[in-house]
Parts: sequence; C-alpha cells; structure tokens
Amino acid sequence: MIKYFACFLIFSFFFLPSVEARVYLDINAPAFVQIPIALSKWKSVEKTPSTLTAKLYEILTDNLTLSGFFKVIDYSQLPPSLRDREGIPNTLVLREWASSGGEILLAGEVALKPDGLGLVLTCHLMDLIEQRHLFGKRYEGHLQNFRSMVRRIADEVVLHLTGERGVHSTKIAYAVQQGTGKEIFTTDFDGANVKQITHNQSINISPVWTPNGEQIIFTSYLKRNPDLYAIDLEGKNLRRFSFYPGLNVAPSWSPDGKRIALMLGMEGKSDIYLIDADGKNPKKLTSGHGNEASPSWSPDGKRIAFVSDRSGSPQIYTMTSEGTDVRRLTFEGNYNTNPSWSPRGNRIAFCGRVGRQFHILTIGVDGSGLQKLTHHGNNEGPSWAPDGRYIAFSSTRTGGSKIFIMNTNGSNQRPLTSAKGGESSPAWSIRLE
Amino acid sequence: MTRTKSCFIIIFILCFGIIFMGCPKKTVVKEDPSVQKEEAARLDAERAAKEREAREKEAREREAREREAARVKEEEAKKEEAARKEFEKSLVAKKTPGIEGEVFESSLLKSISFDFDRYDIRPGDMEILKENAALLRNHPRVKVQIEGHCDERGTAEYNLALGERRANSTKNYLVSLGISADRLSTISYGEERPLDPRQNEEAWAKNRRAQFVITAK
Repeated sequence: MIKYFACFLIFSFFFLPSVEARVYLDINAPAFVQIPIALSKWKSVEKTPSTLTAKLYEILTDNLTLSGFFKVIDYSQLPPSLRDREGIPNTLVLREWASSGGEILLAGEVALKPDGLGLVLTCHLMDLIEQRHLFGKRYEGHLQNFRSMVRRIADEVVLHLTGERGVHSTKIAYAVQQGTGKEIFTTDFDGANVKQITHNQSINISPVWTPNGEQIIFTSYLKRNPDLYAIDLEGKNLRRFSFYPGLNVAPSWSPDGKRIALMLGMEGKSDIYLIDADGKNPKKLTSGHGNEASPSWSPDGKRIAFVSDRSGSPQIYTMTSEGTDVRRLTFEGNYNTNPSWSPRGNRIAFCGRVGRQFHILTIGVDGSGLQKLTHHGNNEGPSWAPDGRYIAFSSTRTGGSKIFIMNTNGSNQRPLTSAKGGESSPAWSIRLE
Repeated sequence: MTRTKSCFIIIFILCFGIIFMGCPKKTVVKEDPSVQKEEAARLDAERAAKEREAREKEAREREAREREAARVKEEEAKKEEAARKEFEKSLVAKKTPGIEGEVFESSLLKSISFDFDRYDIRPGDMEILKENAALLRNHPRVKVQIEGHCDERGTAEYNLALGERRANSTKNYLVSLGISADRLSTISYGEERPLDPRQNEEAWAKNRRAQFVITAK
C-alpha cells in the first residue's frame, strides 16, 4: 500500500514570513469576547466530489463553533460579493474581505487524489484587521481519516489564535440509561462517533479513562456488588480488578498512573482509599465516622480533593495523598459534592446545591473565587478537558439528563449529543493521537 | 349401803361389759390365725388393687399428657408449616438482567424509609425492623441482602455512599435485635434503582429506602 495512507502529514509553508505569535484570546479571562472568524467556501480541486467538500466545511464549522472561542461566520452569512468565492484568496485581495464581518479568515481547498483514497487538504489563516497571512498548512492522509484531518485543522486554528492546542482529538465517556440498567458509551468531543462500549444490561456507572487513554475503568454490578472493571475501547477484554466487599467506585488515577484513589465500602461505610493500578494493597486515607466520597487528584499528584459529611453536610475538602493535612474548601451551601481538580491545578469544579437546584461551580484551591457556572436545571458530574479550558457535565435543563460542554468561564454551554436524555457522569479523555 | 353396793356392781359389770364386748373379735383373731391370714390377704389385694388403679390412672394421665403434647407439637408444626408456606408463598423470584444470582422478594419483609441525606433509622421504622427480625428468627435458614437506595437528588457517587450507610445502619439494627450478622449482607444501589421514577416529593420519599431481598431460603 501507499505509505502516506497510514497517517497524515502536515506541511508548513516555509515561504511565509515568520511573524511573532500573537495570542488573540485570553481564555483565562473570566469573560472573553469570541473572535469573529469568516470561513469562505472551500474549493474542490479537480474531480473531488462537492459532497466531500461540503462535509468538510460542515465539520470544520462545527468544530470551530464547539471550541467556544469563535463567532463563526459561514459563507451563507457573507455579503453576496464574497459568498461564492472559493479557495484561497491572494493576500493582495484581502482588503475585499474586510466587509465579511470577520477579524480572521480561514480558507482552503480539498483535493482527492486520482486513486480516490488519498486526500490533500490545504488551508490558510489570515488576519483581516492587520491584513496579513498567519499560516498555511497542507494535510495529506487517507480518506478514512477525513474527519480527524479536518479536526486537526480546527486544532491548529485554536492553537494559533489562543496559544494552546484545541481538544479536537479527545473523547468523552459517559453512562447511558437503558431499561433498568446503564451502559458505558464514548463519543468524540464534537458528539460524532457515539459508540456503545458495554452490552451487559447491568448497572455500569462512573467511567474514567486509563492514563494512556486505551481503556475505560468503571463500576459495574455484574457480580451483585459494585466492583471496578476495565474494558478496552472496542468493548473487549472486560476485567474485574477491584472487588472488595461493598462499594468500589469513583476511581481517580494518580498523575503518574501508578495508583488509584477511590471509594471503598469494606468497613460498612464509604472511605477514600488508594489501591495499586491492579487493585491490590488498599490503603485507607480517611478516618472518622463521616461518609467520604469522590476523590480527585491534583495534577501535581500531591493532594486529593474529596467529599466528606464529617461537618454534618457534604462539603469539599482536600488532603495530601497520604491522607494528612485535611483542609475544608467549601463553606457556602449545605450540599457540595463531585469535586474535579482542573488539569491546570488552580481550580476545583464541583456540584453544589444552590436554592433547590444543583449547579456546577468552581473554586480556587485556596477556597477563594467561588464561581457559579450553570443556571438552569440540575447539573452534576463536572469533568475537565485535558487543556483545562472546558468542562463536561450532565444537566436536566432540557428535560432528561444530557451531557453538556461549556467553557470554564461558563460560556458557550451546549449539549454534546442529540440524545433526549438518560446520559450521566461524563469523563474527558486525554488527547488521543 | 346396799344401794351403793349394787351401783358399784352395775358399774363394774358395765365396765367389764364394755371392755369385754368392745373387742370381742380381737380376742377371736388372736385366738384364730387362719382368719387373720385371710384378712391380711384381702387387705393386700385391696392395696394392690388401689396401687394398680393409681398406676393405671397415672399411665392414663401420662398418656393424655403425651397425646396433648403431641397434639400441641403437631399443631405447632402445622403452624410452622403454614408460616413456612405463607413465607414461601410470599416469595417472588427477582431476576435482574446483568446482575448475577437469583434472589427473592417477600411482602413479609418490609422496607423502611429515610429522610433526605440521612441514614439513621426512624422510630416508626424500628417497629418494622422488629417484625422483620421476628420473621428472620422464625426462618433461621433464610439469609437476606439489605439494599440501600436513595432518591435522584444530589450526585450519583455521594448517593452510593449514602446508600451504603443506609444498608449498614439497617443491618446493625437487626444485629442489635439478635440476628446473626452472617445472615445479613448489604449492597448500595445509590440512586440507580428508583421504585418510582417520577420527580416529586412523593416519589423521592418512596425511593429513599432500605429494601430486603432473600439470598437463601
């Protein structure tokens, strides 16, 4: 077979002047204004089917919109004089694009090779305010990697304009109600490729990814006890590896991938324990009479956030990974659970009851800067994207429980899939490539 | 003087007569051993008859007592059998897809309820658990699994911890009533198995419960 089909290649256009990278968007700001980006029509080179080009355009538009950083102006929203312009404009005519409404222009073309399998995507990003070319790239690959090639373009645009790569190569695992049970599913970050991983009709809950992104671990009632299992992304090689009497739930990997913090109920109540990656050597971290739940490691591996009701109501605490130096983090409200430590290390997302509803909030690791991010329905189970710029969670705002994604400042909240409900406990993967 | 003398004589005669006539037979018995033997035999026979009669009576009574005891025992056995039948009749096999093992539910083992975010046994529910304990005492081979359940509010993981606690506080109460801990296992289903899927106070109250399933009968 032809070698280039195995993976796709990226070519930078070296003839372009090297411009000092400018960050267009400070996504750490509590409120940022989305960058207006115009997407001109892509050109089908030679015999490339126009349906393929249209599909590419659709995926690219979706992915840039989903990133939350852009106000996407697609070609149908362009002035008539620009609407039907295809392909890459000459930098000399960029001035004409000033009327597009965008500050940035993304343009490109698609070429399907004569063998009908090889695909070449060429794209250029241009700054319409400063009238200059930002980058040009060429992606070569197999037609079957079409979608991931398009996402790669979106990732590159995000990197260039925000200073960090996007998460277009990530997946989200979650649980879906089916009959009286729940099954584990995965989907791509943009809601495409929804895939059922378990098919055992049991109660399968609380999925998390292994640190290498190759397996999912989750709790299942298959053996009439909530035990911890691992399964690969094809739904094969199911393996039970933590099955102490009582609860074996809510696993959180240590950043070095050697240990798992989790809830074990072997003493008749839930406590936080550490176990080895193979489920052995349980070591109890919490003591006292409270219910201890939902551990989450800090990205530096030094501390663990968790829930305890030792004060009389469930609140968020942190402790060292040895179980010492316990500090209470939340003092507002009487029901704060589900902590999730940001990959950037500075904030913890959690689920808190505000009034009669449950909402996603974030708080600084020193207990300062409490921020409420959701406002409608009941919201729970926050999980950070690997870049720390998005949070997935479940929400009942539209009726049934659905997985939603938002930027970490609470903007751009949108459902992940088109399901009507029954979705819960999302877990974001690392970048899978 | 004559009168005094004659009085004395009369008295003497009377006394003599009394003495003499008071035990004429004695005199005879003493004087006739064969008659004495006959009488002794008769007395012996009489005694023996009495003793026999007493023995027979005792035997009859014992028999009656035994019959009564047997009857009571039989009745108890019947009652036990009836209770066993009633219990067995109350059992409904509960097969859950994707969960190993067959268990049974019995309408005679009643569920108890909990307040929101609580796992202590409410006073009224202690009476229910006493009835459940009595049933378990009457069916010593029965083993049960206590399921802790929560309503849908709050987070799934914390509710699993709460369900674990509800199941165990129920178990501990039954153990305090004398039920052996090895007959009682626990499992938390958190909010995963609501009885009533609706989203209102009435449904939530139903769903916050400890429920019993029979794992061995």
